[in-house]
Amino acid sequence: MKWRKWNNIIHRDLGYLCFGLTIIYVVSGVAVNHIADWNPTYKISRETTTITPPASNLSGNDLVRSILQQLNETGEVKDSFRPDPETIQIFVVNNTVTANLQTGSVVQEKTGKRTLLYQVNFLHLNHPKKLWTWFADIYALSLGILAITGLFVLRGKKGIKGRGGWLVTAGFILPLFFLWLYS
Amino acid sequence: MFKKISIVLIVLLLTTVHAFAKTTTYGKGVHIQEETAVSELLDHPEKYLGKQVKISGMVIEVCAKRGCWIYIASDRPYEKIQVKVTDGEIVFPMSASGRKAAVEGIVDELNFSKEDLIRYRRHLAEEKGEPFDPASVKEGKKIIRLIGTGAEIEE
Repeated sequence: MKWRKWNNIIHRDLGYLCFGLTIIYVVSGVAVNHIADWNPTYKISRETTTITPPASNLSGNDLVRSILQQLNETGEVKDSFRPDPETIQIFVVNNTVTANLQTGSVVQEKTGKRTLLYQVNFLHLNHPKKLWTWFADIYALSLGILAITGLFVLRGKKGIKGRGGWLVTAGFILPLFFLWLYS
Repeated sequence: MFKKISIVLIVLLLTTVHAFAKTTTYGKGVHIQEETAVSELLDHPEKYLGKQVKISGMVIEVCAKRGCWIYIASDRPYEKIQVKVTDGEIVFPMSASGRKAAVEGIVDELNFSKEDLIRYRRHLAEEKGEPFDPASVKEGKKIIRLIGTGAEIEE
């Protein structure tokens, strides 16, 4: 049948076209699915140290410099904030330094983007918005077409009228089961 | 002559670009001209509840997991206000901390009972991967925050 030939051509070529983005969504999907247990986008490490409390007459840039010098932190300083009279937060690129001015206890929170995962999550979670939203919509539509054309690739016992039909039914029953289980 | 004018124009263009700090727009951006001080919002929330306002200040904290909230430093020492955005609609990057931001949003009030506050603080601590001691919460609290609709953050 001519329509089946076209069905299979669409299924094959759309499958090739969607491969790259599907892998991106697979990697990001699994990573984001477990967001309760880890941070899929950033690597964050916390280091606790103690420094000599800065002299009480220091303030502003001098205070910031005196703390960072003791920590050997040479990154670009963005700004600083005092959450309370005893504490200063210094924002260095990729590092937030929180120092207790009385005790000298310091927590450094170093942040870095996770290689590859940052980029795939950026696309999967549609951070770019704009044109990417439309592109992702077209991709979703393409997945729908892939699913529908996939039903009709084979004829006979292994096709939709045979084994394929049972598997499609199972594919509907499984999410319905979980919906019933958790609702 | 043309070459000289071109050089002057290029230098002028480069200087102009450097003269303005680059900002990134999030969500619907910032359109309100008049700015409301964070201290004013915290002192008189009843005047602003449900209203759209614009605030500005330094970003002092960003939701590390979803980028779904930030804290903005107040104009008054030791104070801050949370800006909550709908998950996925706006995603603030971690690099925003320490940068100056202008934010627009609707003033909102959360009335937490002691139990609610423990749950809320525990959730925040889990997101940050920090320890949390429920005993540190002695009583319920009223929290004023902004439901953010847009922001502009310097890079």
